Amino acid sequence: MKVDHYRRLMAMQMSRRRMMQGAASLGALAAAGGGLGAGPASAEAHGDVRAEILKIPGVGMGSPTDADWQRVGELCLGATRENVAEGEFAGVELTFMGLNNQNLHNFLFRGFLKPWEAYTGAKINWIDLAQADYNARLQQSIATGTVDFDILEMGAPFEGDTAGRGLLDEMPDWVADQIDSDDLVGYLQPPVGTWDGKTYRVNIDGDCHTFAYRKDYFGPGGIGGETVPSTWQEINAASKALVGQTDPLTGLAAHGYLDPLKGWGGFGFYFIANRATAYVKHPDSPAWLFEPDTMKPMVNNPGWVQAIQDVMDLVDTTGAYPSDQINADPGTTAFQQFLAGTGSMLMWWGDVGSSARTSDTSVVGDVVGFGINPASERRYNAMTGEWEQERNEAPQMAYIGWGIYVTARVQGDEKKRKAAWSAAAHLGGKDIALWMSAYPSGFQPYRNSQFQYEEWEAAGYDRDYIEDYLGSNLDSYNHPNAAIEPRIPGIFQYYSVAEDELAKGFAGQYGSAQETADAIAAAWEEITDQIGRESQIALYKASLGM
Amino acid sequence: MSGQDRLFIVTNDRVSPGRARLGGGLIWGSFALLVGVAAWQILGQTGRVADWGNWRPTLYAYCLWATCLCAAEVVRHGEQGKRRLFVMPAALFVGSMVFFPLVFGLGIAFSDWNLASPDGRRFNGFGNVVRMWSDPFYWNALGNMVWYVLAIVVEYAIALGLALLLNSQIRARKFFRVAFLLPLMLSPVAVSWMIGKSMMEARFGPISRVARWLGWDNPSFFGDPWLAKAVIMIMDAWTFIPFMMIMLLAGLQAIPRDIQEAARVDGANPWQNFWGVTFPLMLPVSLTAIMIRIIFKLKIADIIINVTSGGPGGATDSVTSFIFREYRDRSNVGYGTMLAFVYLVLIVIGFTLFIKLVSRWMRPQY
Repeated sequence: MKVDHYRRLMAMQMSRRRMMQGAASLGALAAAGGGLGAGPASAEAHGDVRAEILKIPGVGMGSPTDADWQRVGELCLGATRENVAEGEFAGVELTFMGLNNQNLHNFLFRGFLKPWEAYTGAKINWIDLAQADYNARLQQSIATGTVDFDILEMGAPFEGDTAGRGLLDEMPDWVADQIDSDDLVGYLQPPVGTWDGKTYRVNIDGDCHTFAYRKDYFGPGGIGGETVPSTWQEINAASKALVGQTDPLTGLAAHGYLDPLKGWGGFGFYFIANRATAYVKHPDSPAWLFEPDTMKPMVNNPGWVQAIQDVMDLVDTTGAYPSDQINADPGTTAFQQFLAGTGSMLMWWGDVGSSARTSDTSVVGDVVGFGINPASERRYNAMTGEWEQERNEAPQMAYIGWGIYVTARVQGDEKKRKAAWSAAAHLGGKDIALWMSAYPSGFQPYRNSQFQYEEWEAAGYDRDYIEDYLGSNLDSYNHPNAAIEPRIPGIFQYYSVAEDELAKGFAGQYGSAQETADAIAAAWEEITDQIGRESQIALYKASLGM
Repeated sequence: MSGQDRLFIVTNDRVSPGRARLGGGLIWGSFALLVGVAAWQILGQTGRVADWGNWRPTLYAYCLWATCLCAAEVVRHGEQGKRRLFVMPAALFVGSMVFFPLVFGLGIAFSDWNLASPDGRRFNGFGNVVRMWSDPFYWNALGNMVWYVLAIVVEYAIALGLALLLNSQIRARKFFRVAFLLPLMLSPVAVSWMIGKSMMEARFGPISRVARWLGWDNPSFFGDPWLAKAVIMIMDAWTFIPFMMIMLLAGLQAIPRDIQEAARVDGANPWQNFWGVTFPLMLPVSLTAIMIRIIFKLKIADIIINVTSGGPGGATDSVTSFIFREYRDRSNVGYGTMLAFVYLVLIVIGFTLFIKLVSRWMRPQY
């Protein structure tokens, strides 16, 4: 996902473009064929294609255009040709609903699918939506029974709203083979990507929050301490210890961890969840937001309350946060604070890593390091109701990532169905995925084959930096205790109302963290009752693979 | 021609009973068709008869009924009917635009309808009102609205001052008239981003730099609840004071000069001239400007949504921005609609009382 907010997108587009500018020639990449060939078996088989598409448009050649996208789409048609005869879908018309964020998403898909249309004979009609309109359009289509699209670009959290209501078509086996599902990173393997045991999703994106920190704050002689904080307890201690000190880079006031204290259309909830997962995501259970059997919120259990209390402690510590932090949303903490040299620790999506060295607004490119979501020195076991003195890591796969889905509208017309899945498989192909991670696309890596650092190094990246940045993604994706959000209907309603209550709590309108958490829990219970508790329980279990 | 009809009527209509019956038949026949089609649609929705899939048949039946109604007026009343025909389509159109949304809106307002719910819309009577009654976010937003509306008094004073300034003989008067109007031409969204998000950005914003230079160590314009509320009011006022100013300026220019000159001849000083002559004469225009400004103010949302999202802790939330969150972020259509209806009723009651209260000053004084 990653592209849900305008400014975040702005930063992203800028960064990816800049990433390409000034880097070494991709001719060198082609020459370094051994590097590419070192990839997995499938990559080896398509080595020529992978090398070829990485030259489009080439380093320092500016941002890719529609012609480039079409050329990439043409070169990546091999897998389609193996499953579809030329002209097989003549006369088929499909409607594709997706986003138009930052002239990416659907704009790329159009280019990629142009040669697919020419080869198969199918025609695609497009519904382009702004991010802000997407949820409303999707929900209204579902609620009013006016689903008018065959192919859908959708985030995994909405699977409850769609798959849960039988609106999606199950992925045929040949598609799984074509897109090489086994190459997906760990957390995207079932049950994620499946619903009630069935697969509906062609992945095109991966998502997780990773930890970014300032190397010049930490280490020998660093104002933040000898070592980089690796637990939330250490982070809070470091944040308090930094009060009154001076930032080594900017000469302004030094600050520690940057909690966003303002809501962000529901997305801000992911950030308090970063702290909470370390406390409450127990390795023995996939549930950390609701109890699966009752949908009782876990958000007011002692683990969550501790996470909220940690933030309140810093709110109460004068100078721990930059001034006006109560009005800082996640976009502010990442792009106006951390990258601009304010604060020393942050949790965010991959954009921060790609922007740190390339964005014009970033001043921290040379002093930024990455890691997975910090741990907790103790964890709360919701099953026993006891605290356990065990170190607990639980990176959060915030938003899970975008995917391509086929709606049930195609059922009953086998030709149309195959056409829709063929288009989806083309976009979720292994080679296109490589290109999308190297050029502006709006998508994070989501396949193991995208983490061949040789390819990045040959493209001109600093190997150490890329290993640090992408490695934090890979480690999060494949973490055995990854925290994956429930894909239930209305999940963002829960997040949105929690943001409102947290804002009141952080502003001191509730007496304690517990009161704040109880208010969230009460609001969540109302939402669950309104949507339907029994159906939510059933869908929650289905999403957890229970 | 009717003896009581003072208008000249070309034809002397003699509508036969058969023609009158035909007209009546047109109206009632098409109406029966409309009711029948609508009933079929409702039954279709419940699955008792074949569903047509959408409401177009009812819309077409309504259009047919409206056309028949217009035609029947002429058939039944001849020349008199033609006169009615001039206004009837417009009246029907306006009625349709008000009546149907109102009916459907009320239907939604009395429903428990969360778009994410698999059960769809369910009638829940006054459930949404009960929920609203205990919703601290809504009452907090209503409370904030009182402050926002009260700020109009200050806005009015500034607008009147500017209008008086621009009405006097000052240099570059035309330039200032245009310059003072410029903020009104800016979108509140642009204002919120340019000023609230950029110029007031705590670290690099130029206004923050000035504040630091003036001795405020860590300027935070939206960190404190009252300061945040005040800054939102100022940004909104900056955009809309020119609107009040231009209305007041027009009022000032309409005051006959001889009244003020007579006061001066009688020995009134400038303050007495303003307070005893200009201000009372301006009351009708002033109250009109204030009322229109209140209407604008009651809709305030864009600046708040962009700059503070209602924070800190709901201190800047407006009713509209809260309803926006209920709708957009929470897909809570039924509850959101009820909140909007209650807000509408409160506004109507408030305005009726306000107009009643100020009506004695609303009449032109000259």
